[in-house]
Amino acid sequence: MTADNCVQDVSFPECKSADVGKLSLQLNCNSDCVYILRAIVAVMAARAGLDKMRSNRVSIAVDELFANILAHAYGGKAGRVEFETCIDHSAQNGCELSFSFRDYAALGWLGSIEEAAACVTDVDDLCPGGLGLKLIYSVSDRCEHEVLSDGNRWRLIFHLNDEEHDSEGSDEHACAAYSHDEQGKGEF
Amino acid sequence: MQTQLKFERQERDENHIQLKVIGDVTIHTSPRMREELKPFFTGSMQEIRVVLDGVDFMDSSGIATLVEGLQWSRLTGGRFILSGLRDNVRDVFALAKLDTVFEIEQFGQGLSGNEESPA
Repeated sequence: MTADNCVQDVSFPECKSADVGKLSLQLNCNSDCVYILRAIVAVMAARAGLDKMRSNRVSIAVDELFANILAHAYGGKAGRVEFETCIDHSAQNGCELSFSFRDYAALGWLGSIEEAAACVTDVDDLCPGGLGLKLIYSVSDRCEHEVLSDGNRWRLIFHLNDEEHDSEGSDEHACAAYSHDEQGKGEF
Repeated sequence: MQTQLKFERQERDENHIQLKVIGDVTIHTSPRMREELKPFFTGSMQEIRVVLDGVDFMDSSGIATLVEGLQWSRLTGGRFILSGLRDNVRDVFALAKLDTVFEIEQFGQGLSGNEESPA
């Protein structure tokens, strides 16, 4: 199966709905799905006009978040993950590139991302998942986590500067009005 | 984007080894890199060099595997050297604040003594 087969691209310039520019897919959680996610991140990074370094950093954050869901929420076993990404030109803080994951793991993660990310990297005592959270924290502008009755919802947000989302390669039509319920959401 | 890792091993003698890694190191492939690395840490190896100029993407699972290598080298003795990191990979080491922990050569001397070419 190729990445293209898994991507539901609903980016139609003439469409006025809230789904404009949103890419979404449903995954059966497995480690090889990181390549599908990276392909999607590459598409969105190009639409957003990100340079190579920032694109790689966004890929790292998305990869790490998915790996954490795979390894810690589902314990390495198969599980359902819903993934969505969009560029929101009407976000409160300006234009944003966002990625959201919804898992259905029985275990809701109750730790503090900020604490995990802030711990000093000790080579002799690296804790599982700690390094990934540190990377997510260092490259994303915001990471939100919400414990649901039947799983978790995570959202990664990257602010786009004017140069990026106005660049030649960026896709203004990829903008989508993204609304969400802020209640119960953790944020760092 | 490569979903499998390839390895090229070069030995100068029984105490010096170089392992070139080719592909993307992710949660999917890092266990293979671990399998490949672990047998080198026997106690008799004086130098293990991991050449990464064929790696364009590495996530924390790859870095954690290399951290394990560093820990093994400290236990068994000998040098553990990372060589030829591309900008993307070097950036991740810097973000993780591990770029000063490892012995890193950008374009190190290979086992044959020849200068390695940049990617």
